[in-house]
Amino acid sequence: MGLLTILKKMKHKEREMRLLMLGLDNAGKTTILKKFNGEDVSTISPTLGFNIKTLEHRGFKLNIWDVGGQKPLRSYWRNYFESTDGLVWVVDSADRLRLDDCRKELNALLLEERLAGATLLVFANKQDLPGALSKDGIREVLALDDIKTHHWCIVGCSAVTGENLLSGVDWLLDDIAARIFTTD
Amino acid sequence: MAALGVEMNVAQDDGETNTAVKVPESVLRRDQARLEEAERRRDVKQSQTVTEEKSDFFTSTFNAEKTQLEEMISSCNDREKAAKTLEEATVKFQQLQKFLNDSVRFLTQYEIRQAQESLQKLQSSITDKREEILPKKKFAFRSRNTSKQQQPTPIQQQTADKPAPGSVGTVVVDAADQCGFSNVDNQVLVRQAEEIQQRDVLLSHLTHCKVRLYGCPSTLHIKNIRSCEIMCGPVSSSVFVDQCTDSTLVFPCQQLRTHNTTATRVYLHVTSRAIIEDCQGVSFAPFTWTYPGILDHFKVAGLSPDRNNWTEVDDFNWLAAGTPSPNWTVIPESERICSWDFVGTAAEQS
Repeated sequence: MGLLTILKKMKHKEREMRLLMLGLDNAGKTTILKKFNGEDVSTISPTLGFNIKTLEHRGFKLNIWDVGGQKPLRSYWRNYFESTDGLVWVVDSADRLRLDDCRKELNALLLEERLAGATLLVFANKQDLPGALSKDGIREVLALDDIKTHHWCIVGCSAVTGENLLSGVDWLLDDIAARIFTTD
Repeated sequence: MAALGVEMNVAQDDGETNTAVKVPESVLRRDQARLEEAERRRDVKQSQTVTEEKSDFFTSTFNAEKTQLEEMISSCNDREKAAKTLEEATVKFQQLQKFLNDSVRFLTQYEIRQAQESLQKLQSSITDKREEILPKKKFAFRSRNTSKQQQPTPIQQQTADKPAPGSVGTVVVDAADQCGFSNVDNQVLVRQAEEIQQRDVLLSHLTHCKVRLYGCPSTLHIKNIRSCEIMCGPVSSSVFVDQCTDSTLVFPCQQLRTHNTTATRVYLHVTSRAIIEDCQGVSFAPFTWTYPGILDHFKVAGLSPDRNNWTEVDDFNWLAAGTPSPNWTVIPESERICSWDFVGTAAEQS
Protein backbone atom coordinates (compact mmCIF):
# COMPACT_ATOMS: atom_id res chain seq x y z
CA MET A 1 0.00 0.00 0.00
CA GLY A 2 1.52 3.28 -1.12
CA LEU A 3 1.31 6.60 0.59
CA LEU A 4 -1.22 7.76 -1.97
CA THR A 5 -3.55 4.89 -1.13
CA ILE A 6 -3.31 5.71 2.55
CA LEU A 7 -4.10 9.34 1.85
CA LYS A 8 -7.03 8.34 -0.32
CA LYS A 9 -8.43 6.19 2.44
CA MET A 10 -8.01 8.99 4.95
CA LYS A 11 -9.92 11.33 2.69
CA HIS A 12 -12.52 8.69 2.12
CA LYS A 13 -13.35 8.59 5.78
CA GLU A 14 -14.07 12.30 5.88
CA ARG A 15 -15.47 12.49 2.34
CA GLU A 16 -13.95 15.91 2.15
CA MET A 17 -13.21 17.88 -1.01
CA ARG A 18 -11.35 21.08 -1.57
CA LEU A 19 -12.63 23.36 -4.29
CA LEU A 20 -10.88 26.47 -5.49
CA MET A 21 -12.91 29.23 -7.10
CA LEU A 22 -10.98 31.50 -9.48
CA GLY A 23 -11.66 33.85 -12.36
CA LEU A 24 -11.25 37.47 -13.40
CA ASP A 25 -12.63 40.17 -11.16
CA ASN A 26 -16.38 40.78 -11.43
CA ALA A 27 -16.92 37.25 -12.77
CA GLY A 28 -19.26 36.49 -9.87
CA LYS A 29 -17.19 34.10 -7.76
CA THR A 30 -18.41 35.33 -4.41
CA THR A 31 -21.97 35.62 -5.68
CA ILE A 32 -21.95 31.99 -6.81
CA LEU A 33 -20.55 30.89 -3.48
CA LYS A 34 -23.10 32.85 -1.47
CA LYS A 35 -26.04 31.89 -3.68
CA PHE A 36 -25.06 28.23 -3.44
CA ASN A 37 -24.97 28.57 0.31
CA GLY A 38 -28.36 30.30 0.32
CA GLU A 39 -27.14 33.70 1.45
CA ASP A 40 -28.15 37.20 0.37
CA VAL A 41 -26.30 38.19 -2.80
CA SER A 42 -27.37 41.83 -3.14
CA THR A 43 -24.74 43.36 -0.89
CA ILE A 44 -21.59 41.60 -2.07
CA SER A 45 -18.46 43.76 -2.24
CA PRO A 46 -15.39 43.16 -4.35
CA THR A 47 -13.48 40.49 -2.45
CA LEU A 48 -10.60 41.79 -0.39
CA GLY A 49 -8.47 38.76 0.38
CA PHE A 50 -10.53 35.59 0.23
CA ASN A 51 -13.59 33.82 1.58
CA ILE A 52 -13.55 30.24 2.80
CA LYS A 53 -16.82 28.35 3.17
CA THR A 54 -17.28 24.85 4.44
CA LEU A 55 -20.60 23.34 3.52
CA GLU A 56 -22.25 19.95 3.36
CA HIS A 57 -23.70 18.78 0.08
CA ARG A 58 -24.82 15.23 -0.80
CA GLY A 59 -22.91 13.87 2.16
CA PHE A 60 -19.68 15.51 1.11
CA LYS A 61 -17.91 18.13 3.12
CA LEU A 62 -16.92 20.88 0.71
CA ASN A 63 -14.17 23.34 1.50
CA ILE A 64 -14.66 26.13 -0.99
CA TRP A 65 -12.00 28.80 -1.34
CA ASP A 66 -13.06 31.96 -3.09
CA VAL A 67 -9.96 34.00 -3.80
CA GLY A 68 -10.16 37.68 -4.75
CA GLY A 69 -8.29 38.97 -7.77
CA GLN A 70 -6.32 41.85 -6.29
CA LYS A 71 -2.71 41.97 -7.45
CA PRO A 72 -0.76 41.96 -4.16
CA LEU A 73 -2.45 38.67 -3.26
CA ARG A 74 -2.10 36.98 -6.65
CA SER A 75 1.40 35.77 -5.83
CA TYR A 76 -0.15 33.84 -2.95
CA TRP A 77 -2.62 32.02 -5.20
CA ARG A 78 -0.11 29.23 -5.55
CA ASN A 79 -0.41 28.51 -1.86
CA TYR A 80 -4.04 27.56 -2.37
CA PHE A 81 -3.27 25.19 -5.23
CA GLU A 82 -1.88 22.39 -3.10
CA SER A 83 -4.33 19.54 -2.56
CA THR A 84 -7.08 21.16 -4.60
CA ASP A 85 -9.52 18.52 -5.83
CA GLY A 86 -11.61 20.76 -8.04
CA LEU A 87 -11.09 24.07 -9.78
CA VAL A 88 -14.12 26.23 -10.49
CA TRP A 89 -13.33 28.79 -13.18
CA VAL A 90 -15.95 31.52 -13.30
CA VAL A 91 -16.46 33.53 -16.49
CA ASP A 92 -18.47 36.72 -16.90
CA SER A 93 -20.22 35.78 -20.15
CA ALA A 94 -21.31 39.36 -20.76
CA ASP A 95 -17.79 40.77 -20.50
CA ARG A 96 -16.77 40.09 -24.10
CA LEU A 97 -13.90 42.54 -23.96
CA ARG A 98 -11.96 40.54 -21.44
CA LEU A 99 -12.68 37.02 -22.70
CA ASP A 100 -9.24 36.94 -24.25
CA ASP A 101 -7.67 37.84 -20.90
CA CYS A 102 -9.86 35.20 -19.36
CA ARG A 103 -8.57 32.54 -21.77
CA LYS A 104 -4.94 33.50 -21.09
CA GLU A 105 -5.38 33.38 -17.33
CA LEU A 106 -7.07 30.00 -17.51
CA ASN A 107 -4.37 28.56 -19.77
CA ALA A 108 -1.66 29.76 -17.43
CA LEU A 109 -3.49 28.22 -14.51
CA LEU A 110 -3.82 24.83 -16.17
CA LEU A 111 -0.05 24.69 -16.68
CA GLU A 112 0.37 24.90 -12.92
CA GLU A 113 1.77 21.60 -11.74
CA ARG A 114 0.11 21.71 -8.37
CA LEU A 115 -3.28 21.81 -10.07
CA ALA A 116 -2.46 18.87 -12.31
CA GLY A 117 -4.87 16.46 -10.65
CA ALA A 118 -7.79 18.84 -10.27
CA THR A 119 -11.09 18.58 -12.13
CA LEU A 120 -12.11 21.76 -13.95
CA LEU A 121 -15.63 23.16 -13.91
CA VAL A 122 -16.20 26.28 -16.02
CA PHE A 123 -19.20 28.36 -15.02
CA ALA A 124 -20.33 30.58 -17.91
CA ASN A 125 -21.95 32.99 -15.48
CA LYS A 126 -24.44 35.83 -16.02
CA GLN A 127 -26.50 33.96 -18.60
CA ASP A 128 -29.47 36.04 -17.38
CA LEU A 129 -28.04 39.16 -19.04
CA PRO A 130 -29.25 39.90 -22.59
CA GLY A 131 -25.71 40.56 -23.87
CA ALA A 132 -24.27 37.33 -22.51
CA LEU A 133 -22.35 35.02 -24.83
CA SER A 134 -23.78 31.49 -24.86
CA LYS A 135 -22.19 28.54 -23.15
CA ASP A 136 -20.99 27.19 -26.51
CA GLY A 137 -19.57 30.58 -27.44
CA ILE A 138 -17.55 30.66 -24.22
CA ARG A 139 -16.40 27.12 -24.84
CA GLU A 140 -15.09 28.15 -28.23
CA VAL A 141 -13.45 31.39 -27.13
CA LEU A 142 -11.71 29.75 -24.17
CA ALA A 143 -10.59 26.88 -26.44
CA LEU A 144 -11.81 24.39 -23.89
CA ASP A 145 -11.76 21.54 -26.41
CA ASP A 146 -7.98 21.86 -26.50
CA ILE A 147 -7.73 20.94 -22.83
CA LYS A 148 -6.43 17.40 -22.59
CA THR A 149 -4.76 17.60 -19.20
CA HIS A 150 -7.83 17.91 -17.00
CA HIS A 151 -11.35 16.55 -16.81
CA TRP A 152 -13.52 19.55 -17.64
CA CYS A 153 -17.11 20.60 -18.14
CA ILE A 154 -18.77 23.92 -18.96
CA VAL A 155 -22.10 24.92 -17.47
CA GLY A 156 -24.06 28.05 -18.33
CA CYS A 157 -25.42 29.56 -15.15
CA SER A 158 -26.66 32.64 -13.41
CA ALA A 159 -25.47 33.35 -9.91
CA VAL A 160 -28.23 35.92 -9.44
CA THR A 161 -31.09 33.55 -10.27
CA GLY A 162 -29.24 30.44 -9.08
CA GLU A 163 -29.91 28.67 -12.38
CA ASN A 164 -27.72 25.61 -13.04
CA LEU A 165 -25.43 26.20 -10.05
CA LEU A 166 -26.51 22.91 -8.55
CA SER A 167 -26.08 20.84 -11.71
CA GLY A 168 -22.58 22.24 -12.21
CA VAL A 169 -21.47 21.47 -8.68
CA ASP A 170 -23.07 18.01 -8.88
CA TRP A 171 -21.04 17.18 -11.99
CA LEU A 172 -17.89 18.37 -10.22
CA LEU A 173 -18.59 16.25 -7.16
CA ASP A 174 -19.30 13.15 -9.25
CA ASP A 175 -16.11 13.53 -11.21
CA ILE A 176 -13.96 14.11 -8.13
CA ALA A 177 -15.61 11.34 -6.17
CA ALA A 178 -14.97 8.85 -8.97
CA ARG A 179 -11.34 9.84 -8.93
CA ILE A 180 -10.30 10.19 -5.32
CA PHE A 181 -12.61 8.00 -3.30
CA THR A 182 -11.64 4.41 -3.80
CA THR A 183 -14.58 2.10 -4.30
CA ASP A 184 -14.13 -0.41 -1.52
CA MET B 1 55.90 -47.54 17.64
CA ALA B 2 57.94 -48.59 20.60
CA ALA B 3 56.74 -45.70 22.64
CA LEU B 4 53.16 -46.57 21.82
CA GLY B 5 53.80 -50.20 22.81
CA VAL B 6 55.12 -49.06 26.12
CA GLU B 7 52.22 -46.83 26.65
CA MET B 8 49.79 -49.62 25.87
CA ASN B 9 51.54 -51.86 28.26
CA VAL B 10 51.39 -49.27 30.92
CA ALA B 11 47.72 -48.85 30.30
CA GLN B 12 47.06 -52.53 30.52
CA ASP B 13 48.99 -52.81 33.74
CA ASP B 14 47.18 -50.00 35.36
CA GLY B 15 44.28 -51.05 37.48
CA GLU B 16 42.30 -47.98 36.64
CA THR B 17 42.65 -48.49 32.93
CA ASN B 18 39.17 -49.88 32.50
CA THR B 19 37.42 -46.83 33.91
CA ALA B 20 39.78 -44.54 32.03
CA VAL B 21 38.72 -46.09 28.77
CA LYS B 22 35.03 -45.97 29.61
CA VAL B 23 35.00 -42.21 30.16
CA PRO B 24 36.19 -41.30 26.66
CA GLU B 25 33.56 -43.63 25.27
CA SER B 26 30.73 -41.76 26.93
CA VAL B 27 32.34 -38.53 25.83
CA LEU B 28 32.48 -39.88 22.33
CA ARG B 29 28.83 -40.82 22.53
CA ARG B 30 27.93 -37.39 23.71
CA ASP B 31 30.09 -35.88 21.04
CA GLN B 32 28.33 -38.03 18.47
CA ALA B 33 24.97 -36.93 19.76
CA ARG B 34 26.10 -33.32 19.71
CA LEU B 35 27.23 -33.66 16.09
CA GLU B 36 23.95 -35.26 15.13
CA GLU B 37 22.03 -32.51 16.86
CA ALA B 38 24.11 -29.90 15.05
CA GLU B 39 23.48 -31.71 11.79
CA ARG B 40 19.77 -31.77 12.50
CA ARG B 41 19.75 -28.09 13.35
CA ARG B 42 21.62 -27.29 10.19
CA ASP B 43 19.06 -29.24 8.20
CA VAL B 44 16.22 -27.39 9.87
CA LYS B 45 17.90 -24.08 9.30
CA GLN B 46 18.58 -24.91 5.70
CA SER B 47 15.00 -25.89 5.13
CA GLN B 48 13.88 -22.58 6.60
CA THR B 49 16.18 -20.26 4.67
CA VAL B 50 15.24 -19.45 1.11
CA THR B 51 17.86 -18.87 -1.51
CA GLU B 52 16.16 -15.60 -2.44
CA GLU B 53 16.82 -14.22 0.98
CA LYS B 54 20.55 -14.09 0.69
CA SER B 55 22.52 -11.01 -0.03
CA ASP B 56 24.54 -12.85 -2.71
CA PHE B 57 21.40 -13.73 -4.56
CA PHE B 58 20.09 -10.18 -4.20
CA THR B 59 23.30 -8.63 -5.45
CA SER B 60 23.60 -10.85 -8.49
CA THR B 61 19.92 -10.52 -9.50
CA PHE B 62 19.87 -6.79 -8.87
CA ASN B 63 23.00 -6.24 -10.92
CA ALA B 64 21.74 -8.40 -13.76
CA GLU B 65 18.46 -6.48 -13.91
CA LYS B 66 20.31 -3.21 -13.65
CA THR B 67 22.60 -3.99 -16.59
CA GLN B 68 19.62 -5.10 -18.65
CA LEU B 69 17.81 -1.85 -17.89
CA GLU B 70 20.87 0.24 -18.66
CA GLU B 71 21.22 -1.46 -22.02
CA MET B 72 17.55 -0.88 -22.70
CA ILE B 73 17.87 2.83 -21.98
CA SER B 74 21.07 3.37 -23.91
CA SER B 75 19.82 1.43 -26.92
CA CYS B 76 16.66 3.47 -27.18
CA ASN B 77 17.44 6.11 -29.78
CA ASP B 78 14.64 5.57 -32.23
CA ARG B 79 11.97 8.19 -31.77
CA GLU B 80 9.20 5.86 -32.95
CA LYS B 81 9.89 3.11 -30.49
CA ALA B 82 11.25 5.33 -27.76
CA ALA B 83 7.95 5.95 -26.08
CA LYS B 84 7.20 2.25 -25.78
CA THR B 85 10.70 1.30 -24.72
CA LEU B 86 10.83 4.03 -22.10
CA GLU B 87 7.44 2.91 -20.85
CA GLU B 88 8.79 -0.62 -20.46
CA ALA B 89 11.94 0.71 -18.82
CA THR B 90 9.86 2.61 -16.30
CA VAL B 91 7.86 -0.50 -15.47
CA LYS B 92 11.06 -2.49 -15.08
CA PHE B 93 12.53 0.24 -12.93
CA GLN B 94 9.51 0.14 -10.67
CA GLN B 95 9.81 -3.63 -10.37
CA LEU B 96 13.45 -3.26 -9.42
CA GLN B 97 12.54 -0.66 -6.83
CA LYS B 98 9.99 -3.05 -5.37
CA PHE B 99 12.53 -5.87 -5.37
CA LEU B 100 14.86 -3.70 -3.31
CA ASN B 101 12.07 -2.69 -0.95
CA ASP B 102 11.13 -6.33 -0.38
CA SER B 103 14.74 -7.30 0.25
CA VAL B 104 15.59 -4.53 2.68
CA ARG B 105 14.93 -6.83 5.67
CA PHE B 106 17.93 -9.07 5.14
CA LEU B 107 20.38 -6.64 3.54
CA THR B 108 23.06 -4.66 5.28
CA GLN B 109 22.91 -0.89 5.39
CA TYR B 110 25.78 -0.70 2.92
CA GLU B 111 24.07 -2.93 0.39
CA ILE B 112 20.84 -0.94 0.64
CA ARG B 113 22.67 2.31 0.11
CA GLN B 114 24.53 0.94 -2.89
CA ALA B 115 21.32 -0.35 -4.46
CA GLN B 116 19.50 2.91 -3.86
CA GLU B 117 22.29 4.87 -5.46
CA SER B 118 22.22 2.80 -8.59
CA LEU B 119 18.42 3.06 -8.72
CA GLN B 120 18.72 6.82 -8.54
CA LYS B 121 21.19 6.80 -11.40
CA LEU B 122 18.85 4.63 -13.43
CA GLN B 123 15.92 6.91 -12.82
CA SER B 124 17.78 10.03 -13.85
CA SER B 125 19.03 8.33 -16.98
CA ILE B 126 15.46 7.38 -17.86
CA THR B 127 14.27 10.98 -17.40
CA ASP B 128 17.24 12.34 -19.31
CA LYS B 129 16.56 9.98 -22.16
CA ARG B 130 12.89 10.90 -22.19
CA GLU B 131 13.64 14.59 -22.33
CA GLU B 132 16.21 14.04 -25.02
CA ILE B 133 14.04 11.94 -27.30
CA LEU B 134 10.52 12.99 -26.38
CA PRO B 135 10.70 16.63 -25.23
CA LYS B 136 7.59 17.88 -23.45
CA LYS B 137 5.28 19.95 -25.58
CA LYS B 138 5.32 23.54 -24.58
CA PHE B 139 2.28 25.81 -24.41
CA ALA B 140 -0.45 23.90 -26.19
CA PHE B 141 -2.35 26.91 -27.45
CA ARG B 142 0.32 28.22 -29.79
CA SER B 143 -1.34 26.78 -32.87
CA ARG B 144 -4.58 28.56 -32.09
CA ASN B 145 -2.80 31.86 -31.63
CA THR B 146 -1.10 31.62 -34.98
CA SER B 147 -4.35 30.77 -36.72
CA LYS B 148 -5.90 33.83 -35.15
CA GLN B 149 -3.10 36.00 -36.44
CA GLN B 150 -3.78 34.76 -39.93
CA GLN B 151 -7.26 36.19 -39.86
CA PRO B 152 -7.16 39.42 -41.80
CA THR B 153 -9.46 41.65 -39.75
CA PRO B 154 -8.79 42.24 -36.09
CA ILE B 155 -12.24 42.45 -34.58
CA GLN B 156 -11.09 44.67 -31.73
CA GLN B 157 -11.01 47.65 -34.05
CA GLN B 158 -14.68 47.52 -34.86
CA THR B 159 -17.06 49.82 -33.08
CA ALA B 160 -20.69 49.42 -32.21
CA ASP B 161 -21.74 51.21 -35.38
CA LYS B 162 -20.15 48.56 -37.57
CA PRO B 163 -21.32 45.19 -36.29
CA ALA B 164 -18.91 42.33 -36.87
CA PRO B 165 -20.01 40.28 -39.89
CA GLY B 166 -17.97 37.22 -38.85
CA SER B 167 -19.55 34.26 -37.12
CA VAL B 168 -19.65 34.46 -33.34
CA GLY B 169 -17.73 31.22 -32.96
CA THR B 170 -14.34 32.45 -34.08
CA VAL B 171 -14.72 35.96 -32.74
CA VAL B 172 -12.80 36.49 -29.55
CA VAL B 173 -13.90 40.03 -28.93
CA ASP B 174 -17.23 40.53 -30.56
CA ALA B 175 -18.06 44.20 -30.45
CA ALA B 176 -21.50 43.81 -31.97
CA ASP B 177 -23.21 43.64 -28.61
CA GLN B 178 -21.02 46.26 -27.07
CA CYS B 179 -22.40 49.74 -27.20
CA GLY B 180 -20.65 52.93 -26.22
CA PHE B 181 -18.06 55.31 -27.59
CA SER B 182 -14.43 54.81 -28.55
CA ASN B 183 -11.63 56.98 -29.94
CA VAL B 184 -13.37 60.34 -29.72
CA ASP B 185 -11.87 63.75 -29.01
CA ASN B 186 -13.61 66.97 -27.94
CA GLN B 187 -17.24 65.94 -28.38
CA VAL B 188 -20.51 65.65 -26.51
CA LEU B 189 -21.69 62.05 -26.50
CA VAL B 190 -25.23 61.02 -25.48
CA ARG B 191 -27.01 57.67 -25.26
CA GLN B 192 -30.67 57.20 -24.39
CA ALA B 193 -32.16 54.56 -22.11
CA GLU B 194 -33.31 52.06 -24.75
CA GLU B 195 -29.85 52.03 -26.38
CA ILE B 196 -28.05 50.88 -23.29
CA GLN B 197 -30.74 49.16 -21.20
CA GLN B 198 -29.20 46.08 -19.47
CA ARG B 199 -26.26 46.13 -21.87
CA ASP B 200 -22.50 46.17 -21.38
CA VAL B 201 -21.40 49.70 -22.24
CA LEU B 202 -17.82 50.55 -23.15
CA LEU B 203 -16.30 54.02 -23.13
CA SER B 204 -12.68 53.91 -24.27
CA HIS B 205 -9.96 56.25 -25.54
CA LEU B 206 -11.90 59.46 -25.00
CA THR B 207 -10.28 62.86 -24.54
CA HIS B 208 -11.98 66.13 -23.53
CA CYS B 209 -15.45 64.67 -23.96
CA LYS B 210 -18.72 65.12 -22.10
CA VAL B 211 -20.62 61.85 -21.91
CA ARG B 212 -24.22 61.45 -20.76
CA LEU B 213 -25.81 58.02 -20.53
CA TYR B 214 -29.48 58.47 -19.64
CA GLY B 215 -30.22 54.86 -18.78
CA CYS B 216 -29.22 51.81 -16.80
CA PRO B 217 -26.59 49.56 -18.33
CA SER B 218 -25.75 46.19 -16.85
CA THR B 219 -22.03 46.95 -16.67
CA LEU B 220 -20.09 50.08 -17.54
CA HIS B 221 -16.45 49.92 -18.66
CA ILE B 222 -14.51 53.18 -18.65
CA LYS B 223 -11.05 52.74 -20.11
CA ASN B 224 -8.23 55.06 -21.23
CA ILE B 225 -9.97 58.32 -20.50
CA ARG B 226 -8.37 61.76 -20.23
CA SER B 227 -10.01 64.99 -19.09
CA CYS B 228 -13.59 63.84 -19.54
CA GLU B 229 -16.84 64.31 -17.67
CA ILE B 230 -18.81 61.07 -17.68
CA MET B 231 -22.28 60.75 -16.17
CA CYS B 232 -24.41 57.64 -16.23
CA GLY B 233 -27.71 56.36 -14.85
CA PRO B 234 -27.89 53.47 -12.34
CA VAL B 235 -25.63 50.57 -13.30
CA SER B 236 -27.09 47.28 -12.12
CA SER B 237 -23.77 45.49 -11.45
CA SER B 238 -20.24 46.87 -11.69
CA VAL B 239 -18.51 49.90 -13.08
CA PHE B 240 -14.94 49.27 -14.20
CA VAL B 241 -12.61 52.23 -14.37
CA ASP B 242 -9.16 51.65 -15.81
CA GLN B 243 -6.42 54.14 -16.79
CA CYS B 244 -8.42 57.24 -16.27
CA THR B 245 -6.77 60.62 -15.71
CA ASP B 246 -7.97 64.05 -14.70
CA SER B 247 -11.66 63.26 -15.14
CA THR B 248 -14.97 63.50 -13.35
CA LEU B 249 -17.14 60.39 -13.10
CA VAL B 250 -20.74 60.44 -11.89
CA PHE B 251 -22.91 57.33 -11.52
CA PRO B 252 -24.83 55.00 -9.19
CA CYS B 253 -23.80 51.34 -9.26
CA GLN B 254 -23.67 48.17 -7.22
CA GLN B 255 -19.87 47.87 -7.22
CA LEU B 256 -17.08 50.12 -8.40
CA ARG B 257 -13.71 48.68 -9.39
CA THR B 258 -11.11 51.33 -10.14
CA HIS B 259 -7.64 50.52 -11.50
CA ASN B 260 -4.59 52.58 -12.59
CA THR B 261 -6.42 55.85 -12.21
CA THR B 262 -5.04 59.24 -11.17
CA ALA B 263 -6.45 62.66 -10.34
CA THR B 264 -10.06 61.69 -10.82
CA ARG B 265 -13.17 62.77 -8.95
CA VAL B 266 -15.96 60.26 -8.50
CA TYR B 267 -19.49 61.34 -7.53
CA LEU B 268 -20.64 57.97 -6.43
CA HIS B 269 -23.69 56.08 -5.30
CA VAL B 270 -22.62 52.54 -4.51
CA THR B 271 -24.84 49.97 -2.81
CA SER B 272 -22.06 47.54 -1.90
CA ARG B 273 -18.52 48.86 -2.05
CA ALA B 274 -15.95 50.64 -4.15
CA ILE B 275 -12.38 49.42 -4.54
CA ILE B 276 -9.28 51.08 -5.92
CA GLU B 277 -6.09 49.33 -7.06
CA ASP B 278 -2.91 51.01 -8.32
CA CYS B 279 -4.60 54.40 -8.05
CA GLN B 280 -3.46 57.78 -6.79
CA GLY B 281 -5.30 61.00 -6.09
CA VAL B 282 -8.78 59.58 -6.48
CA SER B 283 -11.39 61.55 -4.57
CA PHE B 284 -14.98 60.69 -3.75
CA ALA B 285 -18.21 62.57 -3.10
CA PRO B 286 -21.84 61.43 -2.97
CA PHE B 287 -23.79 61.17 -6.23
CA THR B 288 -25.72 64.39 -6.94
CA TRP B 289 -26.76 64.19 -10.59
CA THR B 290 -30.37 63.67 -11.59
CA TYR B 291 -32.48 63.49 -14.74
CA PRO B 292 -36.17 62.81 -15.37
CA GLY B 293 -36.94 59.13 -14.77
CA ILE B 294 -33.81 58.35 -12.75
CA LEU B 295 -35.83 56.86 -9.89
CA ASP B 296 -37.45 54.38 -12.29
CA HIS B 297 -33.97 53.48 -13.51
CA PHE B 298 -32.87 52.83 -9.95
CA LYS B 299 -35.71 50.30 -9.76
CA VAL B 300 -34.81 48.69 -13.11
CA ALA B 301 -31.19 48.36 -12.03
CA GLY B 302 -32.25 46.89 -8.71
CA LEU B 303 -30.35 49.51 -6.72
CA SER B 304 -31.67 51.05 -3.54
CA PRO B 305 -31.60 54.88 -3.75
CA ASP B 306 -31.33 54.98 0.03
CA ARG B 307 -28.22 52.88 0.50
CA ASN B 308 -25.03 54.66 -0.48
CA ASN B 309 -21.68 53.42 0.81
CA TRP B 310 -19.59 55.96 -1.10
CA THR B 311 -17.23 56.51 1.84
CA GLU B 312 -16.36 52.82 2.17
CA VAL B 313 -13.51 52.47 -0.28
CA ASP B 314 -11.16 49.47 -0.14
CA ASP B 315 -7.67 50.09 -1.44
CA PHE B 316 -6.28 46.77 -2.65
CA ASN B 317 -2.77 48.19 -2.35
CA TRP B 318 -3.29 49.31 1.21
CA LEU B 319 -3.76 46.29 3.42
CA ALA B 320 -2.82 47.95 6.71
CA ALA B 321 -5.90 48.03 8.89
CA GLY B 322 -6.38 51.11 11.02
CA THR B 323 -4.40 53.60 8.94
CA PRO B 324 -6.36 55.13 6.07
CA SER B 325 -5.06 54.70 2.53
CA PRO B 326 -3.20 57.74 1.16
CA ASN B 327 -4.43 56.96 -2.35
CA TRP B 328 -7.96 58.31 -2.01
CA THR B 329 -9.71 61.20 -0.25
CA VAL B 330 -13.16 62.62 0.32
CA ILE B 331 -13.90 65.82 -1.61
CA PRO B 332 -14.59 68.60 0.95
CA GLU B 333 -18.24 69.70 0.89
CA SER B 334 -17.35 73.22 -0.19
CA GLU B 335 -15.60 71.91 -3.30
CA ARG B 336 -18.31 69.51 -4.44
CA ILE B 337 -20.21 70.21 -7.63
CA CYS B 338 -23.96 70.35 -7.00
CA SER B 339 -25.35 71.53 -10.32
CA TRP B 340 -24.25 69.95 -13.55
CA ASP B 341 -24.23 71.39 -17.07
CA PHE B 342 -27.24 70.43 -19.12
CA VAL B 343 -25.88 68.36 -21.94
CA GLY B 344 -28.44 66.66 -24.15
CA THR B 345 -31.68 65.56 -22.54
CA ALA B 346 -33.20 62.37 -21.35
CA ALA B 347 -35.80 61.11 -23.81
CA GLU B 348 -39.38 60.95 -22.54
CA GLN B 349 -40.18 57.63 -20.95
CA SER B 350 -43.03 55.72 -22.50
